[in-house]
Amino acid sequence: MSRRLVVAWTAGLLFLAPSTSPAHEIPSDITVQAFVKPEGQRLRFLVRIPLRAMRDMEFPLRGPGYLDIGRADAELRNAAMLWIGNEVRLYEDGTRLATPKILAARVSIPSDRSFQNFERALEHVAGPRLPDHTSLYWEHAMLDVLFEYPIRSDQSEFAIDPGLERLALRVATVLRFFPPDGTVRAYQYAGDPGIVTLDPRWHQAALRFVVLGFDHILDGFDHLLFLLCLVIPFRRFRSLVLIVTAFTVAHSITLIASAFDLVPNMLWFPPLVETLIAASIVYMALENIVGANLRRRWMITFGFGLVHGFGFSFALRETLQFGGSHLLASLVSFNIGVELGQLFALALLIPALELLRRFVLKERERIGMIVLSALVAHTGWHWMADRASVLRQYQVHWPAVNVGMLVTAVVWIVAIAGMGWLAFRWLRHLTEPSAAAEVVAQASN
Amino acid sequence: MSKKHNLGVAAGLLAATILSAGCQSQAQDSDAVQAPMFEVDPLWPKPLPNHWVLGSAIGVTVDSEDHVWIVHRGNGNLRTELGASTDPPTGECCIPAPNVLEFDQEGNLLTSWGGPGDGYDWPESNHGITADHLDNLWIGGNGGNDAHLLKFAQDGTFLMQIGRPGANTGSHDTQNFGRVAKIAFDVSANEAYIADGYGNKRVAVIDMDTGEFKRYWGAYGNEPDDTDIGRYNPDDPPAQQFRNPVHCAEPSNDGFVYVCDRPNDRVQVFRTDGAFVQELFVATQTLGDGSTWDIAFSRDPEQRYIYLADGKNMKIYVIERATMEILTSFGDGGRQPGQFFAVHSIATDSDGNIYTTETYEGKRVQKFVYKGLGPVTDENQGVVWPRRGR
Repeated sequence: MSRRLVVAWTAGLLFLAPSTSPAHEIPSDITVQAFVKPEGQRLRFLVRIPLRAMRDMEFPLRGPGYLDIGRADAELRNAAMLWIGNEVRLYEDGTRLATPKILAARVSIPSDRSFQNFERALEHVAGPRLPDHTSLYWEHAMLDVLFEYPIRSDQSEFAIDPGLERLALRVATVLRFFPPDGTVRAYQYAGDPGIVTLDPRWHQAALRFVVLGFDHILDGFDHLLFLLCLVIPFRRFRSLVLIVTAFTVAHSITLIASAFDLVPNMLWFPPLVETLIAASIVYMALENIVGANLRRRWMITFGFGLVHGFGFSFALRETLQFGGSHLLASLVSFNIGVELGQLFALALLIPALELLRRFVLKERERIGMIVLSALVAHTGWHWMADRASVLRQYQVHWPAVNVGMLVTAVVWIVAIAGMGWLAFRWLRHLTEPSAAAEVVAQASN
Repeated sequence: MSKKHNLGVAAGLLAATILSAGCQSQAQDSDAVQAPMFEVDPLWPKPLPNHWVLGSAIGVTVDSEDHVWIVHRGNGNLRTELGASTDPPTGECCIPAPNVLEFDQEGNLLTSWGGPGDGYDWPESNHGITADHLDNLWIGGNGGNDAHLLKFAQDGTFLMQIGRPGANTGSHDTQNFGRVAKIAFDVSANEAYIADGYGNKRVAVIDMDTGEFKRYWGAYGNEPDDTDIGRYNPDDPPAQQFRNPVHCAEPSNDGFVYVCDRPNDRVQVFRTDGAFVQELFVATQTLGDGSTWDIAFSRDPEQRYIYLADGKNMKIYVIERATMEILTSFGDGGRQPGQFFAVHSIATDSDGNIYTTETYEGKRVQKFVYKGLGPVTDENQGVVWPRRGR
């Protein structure tokens, strides 16, 4: 059979093939790329989604399954409105915007890279469609759609409830918002993020991050275990103020530093911090066993607080994007949430320990606290070993030392030392009598 | 406990942790030659379901979504491990996996299909898989009668066959091929480059849509000649013809074509019209299978580096494309992650990671994670195990 016969035979098969896309399963995972840009009295929403995510549509096909591009426009627009326009909810100052109109809809080849920025994507979606003879298998195509919403003003507050998580089992979204001031807000999330205020006001960002901080401390078992180690030797809430405040000040410093990218941006840094957090638990537990100098505990707590702050920052990294331009307000709010979470945990821990002392341990308090601390040390030790094994997988290259780095390091050392000293002086003044009294009381046990 | 004691214990604990974690400072040597560095991901891919096992893994490619596709020979040489698929079954395991498998970057198996079907001739011995810019998958074959190549959609739908089994008439045939090793693409010209192959001694260029032959050439741009030139001898002058198999033909972004002349231990570089440019000899004492099996370009726009798989010497060479200088290599023979048994095919994803498949008894796919540029300290790095001071 000659090549021409093979081609003719293949063409015959193509003729017999079905002429519309068959029903198919929900895709396992897709990536959505989207831009939102209010401008004057219109808002443009530009989005790219794999065509295979548009289920139950009948796209015209030719041959073995190539999209019949010349006849596809109507069904592309139907799919765009059914699966995107009707699902995405955009809000202006809290009021849902009306159903958008489609300014353009087209398909692109999967290797097209024009959605890397808004201008190129806009030019692409409004440009000529692919040549009709393009042999693009329909499930490989990308659907690009430009929606337009009428708005009152581009200065309004906009929010989006994407509602696209039903398109696949896993939907990853890269969303960029262009407020009129020329800045860009980039969001990246998986699944359903809920309603995202695209350029939130400070109080909206604050509320979101207070909740986030509160949830994080209660979800972070290692932070809770560290807190437990801190409080085991103490009996009164007031005595803990110095310790907890030192921890708070310290982790606030490194959390803010991380948010402003003032920490090593090395792959090995997060596992190093995680290892040190586990080490902090081991240390505190061992100190409880051998006998802690409670009056000086704030110092080591301050040091470990710096490490825990880096840990908090890793949790915050993915979500800080939702704070919009209110980076500092978001950070402070996250911190407030963390403190509230800490206080909540302490409010449970201290009475629980007191009940344990009073009704279970009684005169065996010291032994009981040693056993409890040993259990915590055991857990912390395993975490430390596991995390160190992860850390060992990284090649550690310290950044080259230069004058700028030295200056930055000195500034940070001075700032940390200064803030620590100020906090110490103030809190010592407040708590000295009670701490001293407690030490005396403990010495008499 | 005194203040000094307290701080001393803390400092000691921190120091011990850091030391136990094995951190070390390595001064950057700004004068050292830099090259891309990799570490094997020993947990990639995840175990296959259904008691599936791979046969000789004979091709790998990465599509526009960074999904990894491999083709392997299901039960061709799986030895005694197919107890669950014999009639009657002789054991609880194993079953050949479908010939074509898709993984995501995390190593999850996403799709599987392959094998004979209606409307096309599945190769006697499938060989090579490549995704084009439309995410179609092209497959060759090096079985005795394989003279064709196939194009499939990602869901396994057959799209096109070019050539007919058993019809090859040699290196001047413009209808069929001679046991195709691999297919690659110059999208700007809408052309497919065929490493042709195990039977023919040429690079063939065809139209991607119609399959129409456009041109072909042999070593040094010569007219291909199928005369048997005997076995490779490193002491002889360089052969003026390719030896079989011609194992890869990869067009670069800037108008060159890199051809794996495998048993001749060399990569020849051409312009897209077939004009010879230069050649790189690699491990020239390598006999038999040869040293130049497959190449992949680094994913930077300049395609600054070439990664060359050497299945005989069990390593990957890192080559600077502008100078065609071998900067370093990694890998060694063996069964553990990061080692090779006949590393046959190689591909890169958009993050710079490398994927390899191994033929013969290798029968696996591996991922090497890109770790950025680093100073070259060894001609051969050995096994790039994910551990400090490997």
